[in-house]
Amino acid sequence: MATNHPIMRLASVAALALLPAVAATGQDQLAITGGRVVPVVGDPIENGIVLIRGGTIQAVGTDLEIPIEAKVIDASGKVVLPGFVEPHSPEPLVQPNEVNPNVPFVTVVDAIDPNATYFEDARRNGVTTVHAIPGNNTMFGGKSAVVKTSGTFAEDMILKRDAALKLSLRPSGSSSRMSHLSRLRRELDETKRYMKTLEEKRKEDQDAQAQADDDREEPDDESAPRQEEDEDEEPDRDSDSSTPDPAEPDPQREAMVRLLKGELTAFIYCELAMDVPQALRLIDDYGLDAVLILGRDCHKAVGLLAGREIPVILDPSLVFWETDPRTDKDELVVLPRIYREAGVPITFQTAGGSSVSAATIGPNYLWFQAATAVKYGMPIEEAIEALTLRPARLLKIDEFVGSIEEGKDADLIILTGDPLRLGTWVDTTIIDGRVVYRRDEDSRLKELLRPSISERGEP
Amino acid sequence: MSRRRPDRRCLLATLALIAISPTARAAEGDVLVRAGTVETVESGPLRPGAVLISGGTIAQVSAEIEPPEGAEVIDLGEDATLMPGLVDADLPGGVTGPAVEETREITPTFSPLPAVDWSSRAFLEALAGGTTTGAIVPSSENVIPGLAVVVKTAGEEQSDRVVSRDAGLVITVASDPASRNRSRTRPDSIYVRQPTNRMGVVGLLRESFARAARGADPDPDTTSPAAGDPYEPLREAMAGRRSVLAISRTDFDMLTVLRLAGEFGYAPVVYGGHEAYKVAEPLASSRVPVVLGALRVDRPFGPEGTELIWNVAGILHEAGVSVSLSGGDLLDQARFASRFGLPREAALRAITIEPARVLGVDGRVGSISPGKDADLVALDGDPLEFTTAVRWTMVDGAIRFPKPDPSQQED
Repeated sequence: MATNHPIMRLASVAALALLPAVAATGQDQLAITGGRVVPVVGDPIENGIVLIRGGTIQAVGTDLEIPIEAKVIDASGKVVLPGFVEPHSPEPLVQPNEVNPNVPFVTVVDAIDPNATYFEDARRNGVTTVHAIPGNNTMFGGKSAVVKTSGTFAEDMILKRDAALKLSLRPSGSSSRMSHLSRLRRELDETKRYMKTLEEKRKEDQDAQAQADDDREEPDDESAPRQEEDEDEEPDRDSDSSTPDPAEPDPQREAMVRLLKGELTAFIYCELAMDVPQALRLIDDYGLDAVLILGRDCHKAVGLLAGREIPVILDPSLVFWETDPRTDKDELVVLPRIYREAGVPITFQTAGGSSVSAATIGPNYLWFQAATAVKYGMPIEEAIEALTLRPARLLKIDEFVGSIEEGKDADLIILTGDPLRLGTWVDTTIIDGRVVYRRDEDSRLKELLRPSISERGEP
Repeated sequence: MSRRRPDRRCLLATLALIAISPTARAAEGDVLVRAGTVETVESGPLRPGAVLISGGTIAQVSAEIEPPEGAEVIDLGEDATLMPGLVDADLPGGVTGPAVEETREITPTFSPLPAVDWSSRAFLEALAGGTTTGAIVPSSENVIPGLAVVVKTAGEEQSDRVVSRDAGLVITVASDPASRNRSRTRPDSIYVRQPTNRMGVVGLLRESFARAARGADPDPDTTSPAAGDPYEPLREAMAGRRSVLAISRTDFDMLTVLRLAGEFGYAPVVYGGHEAYKVAEPLASSRVPVVLGALRVDRPFGPEGTELIWNVAGILHEAGVSVSLSGGDLLDQARFASRFGLPREAALRAITIEPARVLGVDGRVGSISPGKDADLVALDGDPLEFTTAVRWTMVDGAIRFPKPDPSQQED
């Protein structure tokens, strides 16, 4: 490669010497060379180079100068992809569901176990970002978080706090669907009323204050501009707390208020097809920004979803048998095919240990779910997108992850061969520019496969 | 067999010529299937390959075959693979209710055949996954649960679907028959069953084989008087006329299987075999085949919480043990076994000819060779890729999936 030429190296050193202020230390710099780079946006690049600095992708291309102090990872003969994004999983949590069905105020950050086997498996299987979210058993299950799959403390792993609020339309406990839905609506209505009184109270206070000291500037109008910068952990209404306010915002209601303001995405679980129209009605009635998690049965409501542009996440059982209750006739249901034929873009989730295990182990792996979709007609390019950019967009984190582009987080996986092939393994996983997994150092994998693959090969 | 075949084809052709109804001719007529790859399993892959089917039987296998007059030609295309119908040595779900009679612990003459639900969804699921032959194995709640039977996953008549009424004597070498049993503290209870632990199970096995060997009367406590001579299948096994399918999962149970086989002189097959990788050498030297149960990857599995190793199949194969995969979804199982270390050819054999041999039905199924039943699976691509779908499954010369025969629904 041209950049290995000593003169070029010298040139780069000189260039860096001229810019000492921006020069990052060698440790922060990484160059992945020689591999087939699949950026997801745009065509694959043969013999491509990905330059990483300070945890961010700096450049992608073929004719790039490799800084002399960059650590080079040779990916010759391998394939470089953006890390996979799992859009919905309760697996990172020590306990997927709260016992109380109405807990919108809890946050998964308090329950994420960085040592959960989920994360180890994720790194081994190319998943670098996961949306950790409560399970499907609770009405308002709590606030979720998007986390990277490597870290010692949950706080270090967070990419997006308060990513969504989990709603489930499956009745919790022994309650009926009727009462579940009416309770759910009552909670939303109550929150609306609460918001209204809070608003009225605030207006009154503001008017009173404006009268008291009229040399004050224009009154602070709503919280609209502040919505944009929600990364702050504090609820934004805390700024009002300086004034002695009898109607002080209730922190327990904070998540519900943000849900109705459209600041917090509703991840709505529909167990049955009959839940889908209810979910759509909730979305329309309350103006929710929503993503649907669809149980197996929901394919019967696919007609309602076509053209709605609501992102969907399919059940982990992508292929299963259904028996007609009257004729007893069995039919093979292939979810990816049904949704694709209806023009609904799909994303996948894994089965995980908590769900009923399928006959084979496949649905435990996100890549296997994509392979199953390909098996039933999805083009491989779309399948790769459904593992990366599509879930990133669904989670509104595509500005950080989901493709190999300049300025995005350096979350990359290096595969031993073409994706979704039987003999292809994750060779290296990189999160935020740090190598977090190497297959040749994966002692647990060696143990599980012993001794055939890894040890017997070497003399 | 193969020599008789052409004669029969001539006869069929003659019949076809004089037949009045063309539909009857189509049903009975020859079918030629061409594919980019034909995995014969026993004599390597053919690229391209062609298989001529006549009267529900494979007549000819070759790189290129000229279609006989009037034969239906199915051209699968260059990317497609034709392989033998898969054989599941432990097909799940074919029996409605418990797959063992629990009133006695020793029920060697019992057959699950009367309990088979021929229109069960399990058969359709198997068929959709390419499985055309499956063994119904009595379950491990009894010390000697009975005989395994082998059936086709589709067919017109129930009797035609039975491949073997006696594919081996099933014994349990695990603590399963002892689970839930208590010692005889309450002699009035009808739920008193003899073994209460693993020693008791092995003790009963040994006692039964010993009684059978010396021609003793059946033990009325453990055997059923209505079932004929319960020891007859045991004697046949000891005489080498029947294999013994031993359900065992831990390494020490498999050593017990070998020890008992040595004591009584029967040929065992290990069913389950989670920890067989630990005893691969003794299993190989005793030439004991292993039928592995469905693999899990997330945690130790089975009642014993056996240690988890992903590459059990590969390790056994390397040691020279015959490996079969079982328990449903055979293609995906073979794919994962191959990913985890089982060589390609062995992975294909593990879902076809190896289980067919274990069950003693390799004369009819398990490979694409002239004279065998026309049980075939057409796949869109390489069988050992996760992205490959089953296009159709043929049983005895008729495509049964995805177009199930209406007559099957009436059963």
